[in-house]
Amino acid sequence: MKSKNSISGNKLQEKRCSRRNLIRGVAGAGLVLGSGLRLPAFAGDQDDGERNKCKTLPRPIPRINIPPNGHFFFAGPVTGVAAATDPTGAYPDGRDPSTITDFKGLIAQADLFFSGTGTDLNTGRSAPYGFHTDWRFMAGVFVGVDGLRHNGTLSFL
Amino acid sequence: MPGLPGSPLGVHSWDAGISESLVFWTTPLPSGSGKVDLARGTASLKANNICAVFDAFTVANSLSPDRPLGYASGIINSLDIEWSNVINTFEGFSDAADKFAGDFFQVGNVTIAVTATTPVSTGHGFRFVSDPASTIVNYAQIGSERSGVFF
Repeated sequence: MKSKNSISGNKLQEKRCSRRNLIRGVAGAGLVLGSGLRLPAFAGDQDDGERNKCKTLPRPIPRINIPPNGHFFFAGPVTGVAAATDPTGAYPDGRDPSTITDFKGLIAQADLFFSGTGTDLNTGRSAPYGFHTDWRFMAGVFVGVDGLRHNGTLSFL
Repeated sequence: MPGLPGSPLGVHSWDAGISESLVFWTTPLPSGSGKVDLARGTASLKANNICAVFDAFTVANSLSPDRPLGYASGIINSLDIEWSNVINTFEGFSDAADKFAGDFFQVGNVTIAVTATTPVSTGHGFRFVSDPASTIVNYAQIGSERSGVFF
């Protein structure tokens, strides 16, 4: 199911990074993350990135949504019926709200529109600003790519 | 979390990137950040300083291998999402093809309070503070699930 331009095909372009490095990057001055630095580190990293490893990586659900070639379903009823929130149509087998597999726990999902105030921090200009989000979390036990069980809370945003 | 078009402040869209195991836009949070009470039909997600996120400006740009609009670090400074009011139930649902099952409950009420920032240091400085009262629910659910080896 992997197309030439799929995300899976881009895997080799990705580089490992640690939660600590990400936090340092945010805290540091002037760092703009490039295409090689886009990976979240997962809870339970025993070395916290000191050996540049991400040990506790969960596995994605097997379904690849095309487009956009990602391992997820859009929001909608688990029964898979057509839904306005899912531009890819109906899924007669079902529509998994989790983005990780080998998982047992609790989930919550919210596909929302909302608004508030945006501020350009360079100019100070503020104006109403709207967002769409499909925010989710999975809290419980999952088996990572290391084959071990881990407890954790993971959030899709 | 893509911004809606038309703002004079330009485009911003925060996501969590793709992990090296290909998990999509998903990042870890401290244990206890997310709580679900199926008996009461409620859930909450509360977190501060979620640093493993990025401002990709648009979803298309985030998914593009060369990201022509660039890519900047971001932070979710604070987050509080509340779910309540069960309006539909899907108990005992099972999908053998995708290997997941569980009890799921569509809910009708959600509010989101979020503050997110793209630091000035990135050259794209931007901050958003939501108004929870503005939340419009397109679809929301809570549930218990088992999948893969737990299916």
